[in-house]
Amino acid sequence: MDTILYLAHTDASGSLPKAALEALTAALDLTRELDGASLVLGLIGENVEGAAGAVGGVERVVGVSGPEFAVSRYASDAAATEALVNATEATIVIAPATPRLCRTLPGVAGRLGGRVETQVTEVTAEGDTVRAQRWFYRQRMVATLSRSQRPWFLLVAPGAYDAWKGEAGGAQLERVNVDLPADQLRTRVEGFQAAASQTQTIRPDAQTLLVAGAGWTKKQADGQVHIKDAECLVLGFLELAHASLGSSKSLVDQSSEGGEVMSFMSHLNQVGQTGSTPRHKKGLSTCCHGEEPHVVGWRFIRERRAINLDPACGWAQGKADVLYVADAFQVMAKVNELLSGQ
Amino acid sequence: MSGGFHIVVCGSLVPDPLQTLEPVLGTDVPALKNEAMLPSVLDPWAGHALFEAAQLAASGPDSKLWLCSLGPKARLQQLMMQVAQKVPFELVALDGSASGFTDSALVADALASAIESIDGLDRSRMLLFGGCASASRDAGVTLQMVGERLGIRDQFLGVDELHVQEDGSLRVLERVEGGRYLASVCEGPPLVAAWATGKLPEPPNSPQIGMQNMRTIMPALARAKPVSLESGGTTWLSAEVPQQRRETRIVKDSSADEIAREIVDWLRS
Amino acid sequence: MSESDPKRDSLEVDIACVGFGPASGGFLTTLSRGLAASNGELESAAMPGLPPQVVCYERADDLGFGVSGVVTRATGIRATFPDLDPEQIPLARPVTKEKLVYLQDPIGASRRSFVLRSADRMLRGLRFVLPVKHHAMELPFVPSFLRKDGGLVFGIGQFNQWVASQLMAAGQVQLWPGTPVAEPLVEGNAVVGVRLLDQGTDSAGEPAAGFLPGMDIKAALTVVADGPVGAVGRRLDERFGMPEGNERRDWAVGMKMVVDLPDGCALEPGTVLHTFGYPEPEIFGFLYVNEPGVASLGIFVPSSLPSPVRASYRYLQHWLQHPYLWRHLAGGKLRSWGAKSLQESGRDGEPFLCGDGFARIGEGSGSTNVLTGSGVDEAWTTGVQLAESVLELLDGKLPFTRENLTKTYVARRRASSLDRESKIAAKARAGFDRGFVRGLLGMALTGLTRGRLNARRGRRPTRAPSLAEHYRGRIPAAEIERIEQEARAGRRPLHDALMDRAGWPSIPFDGELLVSHQDALLMGGKVQAAPGYADHVVFLAPAICAVCGTKQCIHVCSGQALTAGEDGVPNFDREKCVHCGACQWSCPEPRVPGRETGAIALRAGAGGLHSVEN
Repeated sequence: MDTILYLAHTDASGSLPKAALEALTAALDLTRELDGASLVLGLIGENVEGAAGAVGGVERVVGVSGPEFAVSRYASDAAATEALVNATEATIVIAPATPRLCRTLPGVAGRLGGRVETQVTEVTAEGDTVRAQRWFYRQRMVATLSRSQRPWFLLVAPGAYDAWKGEAGGAQLERVNVDLPADQLRTRVEGFQAAASQTQTIRPDAQTLLVAGAGWTKKQADGQVHIKDAECLVLGFLELAHASLGSSKSLVDQSSEGGEVMSFMSHLNQVGQTGSTPRHKKGLSTCCHGEEPHVVGWRFIRERRAINLDPACGWAQGKADVLYVADAFQVMAKVNELLSGQ
Repeated sequence: MSGGFHIVVCGSLVPDPLQTLEPVLGTDVPALKNEAMLPSVLDPWAGHALFEAAQLAASGPDSKLWLCSLGPKARLQQLMMQVAQKVPFELVALDGSASGFTDSALVADALASAIESIDGLDRSRMLLFGGCASASRDAGVTLQMVGERLGIRDQFLGVDELHVQEDGSLRVLERVEGGRYLASVCEGPPLVAAWATGKLPEPPNSPQIGMQNMRTIMPALARAKPVSLESGGTTWLSAEVPQQRRETRIVKDSSADEIAREIVDWLRS
Repeated sequence: MSESDPKRDSLEVDIACVGFGPASGGFLTTLSRGLAASNGELESAAMPGLPPQVVCYERADDLGFGVSGVVTRATGIRATFPDLDPEQIPLARPVTKEKLVYLQDPIGASRRSFVLRSADRMLRGLRFVLPVKHHAMELPFVPSFLRKDGGLVFGIGQFNQWVASQLMAAGQVQLWPGTPVAEPLVEGNAVVGVRLLDQGTDSAGEPAAGFLPGMDIKAALTVVADGPVGAVGRRLDERFGMPEGNERRDWAVGMKMVVDLPDGCALEPGTVLHTFGYPEPEIFGFLYVNEPGVASLGIFVPSSLPSPVRASYRYLQHWLQHPYLWRHLAGGKLRSWGAKSLQESGRDGEPFLCGDGFARIGEGSGSTNVLTGSGVDEAWTTGVQLAESVLELLDGKLPFTRENLTKTYVARRRASSLDRESKIAAKARAGFDRGFVRGLLGMALTGLTRGRLNARRGRRPTRAPSLAEHYRGRIPAAEIERIEQEARAGRRPLHDALMDRAGWPSIPFDGELLVSHQDALLMGGKVQAAPGYADHVVFLAPAICAVCGTKQCIHVCSGQALTAGEDGVPNFDREKCVHCGACQWSCPEPRVPGRETGAIALRAGAGGLHSVEN
């Protein structure tokens, strides 16, 4: 007899962000499949009434609200989470894997003697057993497991489920009180700050991931390196196609300047590391040999194409849907031309 | 607060990402195929945490730096050969599995106990550092649990910058959605920072640092306490590398123009 | 190295070792035990109050990334580890079965002499009487000098790791991978230590961001164990010359893979196969089964193979597909790949074994036995011999002078069976100068008479044959020119195109075992190099490259790291280099005394192979 607590935080406008709606689908699915389970909605934020009222089909809604919970901060979020879990006696907690909750829930799991899985790609039930699927070793392998320890926190990866759409609800919001003594609020949130670089290499909603391999920085047929051209072509494509950027090996040389690596590559590390792994529909690999790029997010690319001069490279051996044996400098220049023409 | 920080970095070894990694699900817990043979490297983000910690420790006269590492003893020895030439630190070693399939709660327990017993550690000046996720379990959960065990309620995940301000408070930048940072200010230690890449490059190898480190590392390795990470309660149903072999269409004799057109059509579809 | 030297830090130790392989393994293990047994009586001269500070610097990013066969009688290794249980070490097994196999040419593209072709015809005629099957003949016996009864097969990477593990646990010596040594420090006639490679430079070696000049490590004794192509060993040769009459003229590229054998493969662990005759007669091959379902296999492409386009990888792929082998390998999967140079001059290539402040051990000291084709145990043994000598000198508080090292280390070495065997083997390969059949007969002669009778050496060719000469009778000169032009314009390596044209079938890539060369590098060798270091293959005389016709360095490069460049000077991609050194000895440009080798030099560098399954 499991009590499933769906846990989410509201955004600045008081509504549930997309990742949260996806996790809600997971929670509702699980409640249906799991023998004898009941679902409670749990919300944290400055204001939660709006969100509470928006979700229909749930019998019980609990919330922690107030100015201290407007911001993403471990101490307050953990206190709120603990309070909600205790108030509902939840055995399973399903939440979106947002940076805020990824920060908070593991600590609370530790506090309560439970367990936690993050970046869960599937939650299923078999009888009265809950199973979670997640990826290991930088998405190089996937495993399914179930645990008996409770409460079991499952943070659902964005993009793994469709966002919930449904009727508004009428359940009464139960407010849960959380005491936050002043000496616990030692952290003050200042606000958001943009990343230093002007270059937008992360596009969370991008349809396409461009993988730029080491070949861009190598000597070309004329015996020269063409870093500036490479930069132009890659950046141009990102702009025109609204694509995200990945790399098949570290092109970041943080210890030397000079024209040897593409200057914006230092932000490469950020792709997929924002706590939400982008799942692109299409992946285009360029100047990369075909050893499956160890790029966070590549694993989930559905349609894969590659441009490489070597017709016997790894892409030809079943790793891509299409391999174009051609010079990426030439092809990408043309691609950018066509994209900008529209 | 007097003096510098006492920084404890939690970080261990992971298989060298260049190697072929495949899981095998035996009777209980999955393991990596040919695990005994895989060369190891320092977990990358934990490495960044270590380098940032070293820089922070170097700037404070009374600071100390420990690396708390749980892994098979023989592997830790190998790891030290790579890490010990980078920055000065003291090692707290635990002899146990470094597999990504271990129970993070048990790992956190072991690390927390080891940290609690560090001689001369001033918990009021402590900064608990680590990576925001490992390259093995890749979950980003262990450090928070260690922090909780040690009673630290100021925690930060995905850190790229930690700056000591004039008044001694600590300004932290965490990676959040949309490629942005969340800026927060914590009054002071203790705090937990789970690092992303930070801003520092990997330090070059310094034989001097290496030799100095080895004097304390060797005895620490000899003292490494065995840790059992047997967890009842977990059932593994499957562990695999998804097989993906597509029917590749190889386009060989088309011009760059033709190929570009095909690609653009595909992108737009 | 730049002329205007940056300020360098220095550090003093007692003993500095260059390179971690079986030779250093033997040296450090024996020394370690001696130091532990001395119970603190031996004191460091560099850091008084502490035990002797012994450090070993290895260039590769990890200690387990070396390449080698290996099958060995393991006499020296077993003497050090009497209780050695091979099953403790992954990929190690006792030898159970050995075969020597002559492979015929089922394709017809190899270059066989009249004698050999006649022999082949005869064999084919007699194939119902002789054990000729699958285009191969298993010799009814393995000559005693080749036999490895009671020996071991193992992977050198795993073995080195295991040895390192024991050393670290004992705590008497320090091992530092990822630390290339650029050169020895020489003052007058003495070696006083080593200089580490500069870090944080651009590809030309000039300081870039993060520049850290390589430290000077001062040591009373420098042990040089950096293999046959090691930079420090070579510098010593240039500085001190070679002993009278000694020259390193015979080399080979050893290129190998570790393979997951297909299900149902009949080969059992401990099986050892030696092959010769295919894809070219001079190419020897080996296959050792390390574990159920896992085999190490590969070929040796010798410098005596008179081809200007000695491209090992393609040869390896054809060798794999020989019917005799392919019946066991089809359906298998590549696990690792690697390549190294072998020094095949043996005794004749021995350098000065010691001098004031230094001693040389291992393959770089000419310890490899070129008759039995074994080097690992011999290297180990020279390490043990040096360690015993060092302990003797430390005990007697005697300095590491040439005299003292000669009286102890060289004396031990000369008195040992290692030396006896190497004297026997000294002329084993002499016949190969004159052709393959003579070479084989010469080896047999040496082996069976224990060195009393040997083949005569031939004259060393003054230059490599041109492509036209090499392919005379097979490909018209005009066509060769056309192929060369196409290769220059396109991206296809020249040797591939020439081999195709010479009748070698193209390789049916399957993405599992038959993979492209670059795939082998990436999937198998996991070849990589971190930035921040200078290019370690340098062209010393661009004027020579400009007029060089054959560019053997490009063709022989194990990693395809060398490609045709501007003005004839090849381009070097350090991220593909596996540090095999074949480029260096392939260059036909003769060495000028007092100057670095020929027109191309392999210097110390970081990175390379990252697979421990070699």
